[in-house]
Amino acid sequence: MKSIHVGRIFKNRSSSLVVVLLLLVVVFSVINPIYLSVYNLVDIIEQATINGLLAIGITFAIITGGIDLSIGSTMAVVIVTTGLMLVNGIDIWVCILAGVALGFAMGAINGFMVTKMMLQPFIATLGSMSIFRGIAYILTGGWPVLRIPKTFRTLVDGDIIASIPSSIFLLFAFALICHIILRHTRQGTYFLAAGGNEEATRLSGVNTDRSRLYAYGLCGVGAALAGLVMLARLGTGEPTAGLGYETNAIAAAAIGGTSMAGGRGSMVGTVLGALTLSALKVGLVVLGVDAFWQYIAMGSIIVVAAYFEVIQSKLEKRMSRLRKA
Amino acid sequence: MIRKMLSLLVALAMVLAIGATALAEDEGFNPDNEAGMNFQDMRATFGAIPALEGEVKLGAVAKAFENEYWRTLKEGYEAFAAKMQAVGQNVIVDVRSAQGEGDEQGQLSIVKDMVNKQYTALLLSPISDSNLTPGVEDAIKAGIPVINVNDGLIEIAPNFVGPRAVENGERAAAWIAEKINFEGKVAVVIGMPKAFAARQRTLGFVNWMAENAPNVEVVEQQNADWDRSKAKDLATTWIRKHPDLKAIFCNNDTMALGVVEAVSAANADILVVGVDGIGEAYDSIREGGMDATVDSFPFYKSQIAAEASLRLLAGQELPRVIWTPQALIDSTNVDMAAADIIGWTEAEFSAQ
Repeated sequence: MKSIHVGRIFKNRSSSLVVVLLLLVVVFSVINPIYLSVYNLVDIIEQATINGLLAIGITFAIITGGIDLSIGSTMAVVIVTTGLMLVNGIDIWVCILAGVALGFAMGAINGFMVTKMMLQPFIATLGSMSIFRGIAYILTGGWPVLRIPKTFRTLVDGDIIASIPSSIFLLFAFALICHIILRHTRQGTYFLAAGGNEEATRLSGVNTDRSRLYAYGLCGVGAALAGLVMLARLGTGEPTAGLGYETNAIAAAAIGGTSMAGGRGSMVGTVLGALTLSALKVGLVVLGVDAFWQYIAMGSIIVVAAYFEVIQSKLEKRMSRLRKA
Repeated sequence: MIRKMLSLLVALAMVLAIGATALAEDEGFNPDNEAGMNFQDMRATFGAIPALEGEVKLGAVAKAFENEYWRTLKEGYEAFAAKMQAVGQNVIVDVRSAQGEGDEQGQLSIVKDMVNKQYTALLLSPISDSNLTPGVEDAIKAGIPVINVNDGLIEIAPNFVGPRAVENGERAAAWIAEKINFEGKVAVVIGMPKAFAARQRTLGFVNWMAENAPNVEVVEQQNADWDRSKAKDLATTWIRKHPDLKAIFCNNDTMALGVVEAVSAANADILVVGVDGIGEAYDSIREGGMDATVDSFPFYKSQIAAEASLRLLAGQELPRVIWTPQALIDSTNVDMAAADIIGWTEAEFSAQ
């Protein structure tokens, strides 16, 4: 086990992302001081929770050299199933555990298709995206699950301290656990190695199939947690929930420095990526920017964040060359 | 390299600017601007539906049955067919839908199949403004009448049946203005900015306020892509930014239900009005959540569309646009029967 090293956590992309994030906050605050109010900063994190949980999950899939397009649908199945259990009076904790287990199982199905059936991740999860969505519709006949009990809503998304909801703590707790799994366990090293060079990893005696199965399972857990938060937040379980949410999750991971080719990525980066997207979105809303221009701003931030890192590594190279000379 | 990029950007900007001006000049077919006729006037002008000979097989194609709106529309079509059969008319309605609102090609395949099987008339609600165009061209060539049933627009379809979308917004605006004594800040949650219904509903709301309530200020307009969670996030930020916000108009009920969550979480006193009249919105109004919704009564809309198709088949020359009824539902009429609210009567048949 490596020791936790603060400097290492914030290296490369994460440090440039912090700069981007701070720049965003400063610019928006200067234009409209309301942006900086404490409530609004809490809102920014709160609005990053659903996407953040999804993004943490999908980071596992991407790191192993894969992708999971089905997370939005996984979320919907968990929302509908947990919702139905809750309104039928089943104990809250049983419902939550069942939801998380269901998410893991659906992720593992993706993992099974990718490893044992040797399907390309994009194709396998494109299929399961549609299958899972269909399951969500079938479970309720297309109708939403209404009247989710208050107790569940307060537990998962109610205010804990001042007006900070529990979902924010859930996001950071899940991020911390996943960070430890990725950086400080053998399985985490296998995830990265499988994405970096699967052949070599397998030949060195690692069961890469099992690693990738776990990675997709964890991805499903992220989607399940996101679903639970959404269910609590809205008080209604819609089978249409999470349509198209995979793009934002992928964007958060990409902004956070996860390589789409696999083998590289960090949970700190992904969480910062989700926060950056949320900070931007809230900023654009506070400024009242026209909807059409928001698409351009959201796309630009992905490119800008990625380019920041390129500049940074260029600078570092030049600096080290100067030092040598 | 940078110079190359810059010149490329400038060129791109110029092309976009030219394209934008060209677009601005030709808005295309907009049913809201047509001289339409409502269903009562249609019946008054053209009389009873002429009796038909032989089997009439209507093909109706909706967007996606996972949406309550389209399921209700389907029920309306089927109710119409049942009523026709009860009076001895051999009318069959085949209602089908695409697989989700992204399945543009699949929807076209259904239409092409119906044309090949020589359905008597088609009632179409396209996913996009253009995805059904090839199928509609085939149908027109084959002499099959095509009616465009809201929502979604088919430029080349000879007839359109639906509610006046701009009026959805106007009704919401009038109700809100009345409740807030014609002054204060209000905001609009838009659906998908590209969607016709979203554009027209927002336009109707904003223009009505500008003309009739100059002291009401529309302080915010943003899109939430018809998504409940995104609408809640938007409203949360707005409530922080404008503590004196008095009302939020949403382009549909799903988003309004998300906004209600934001309003109650902030403990704010803000009116929330949606559009569509889905079951959950009715429940919410009864329970004091949402304040109002503008219902377009899809159950009756599809019956009017099917009736119009029979009239066209009988050779009646209907105007291009037939308006279907809409009404604002709030706590005062939430328990009234829809048929009473819109003054619905069954269509009459002339004796054979």
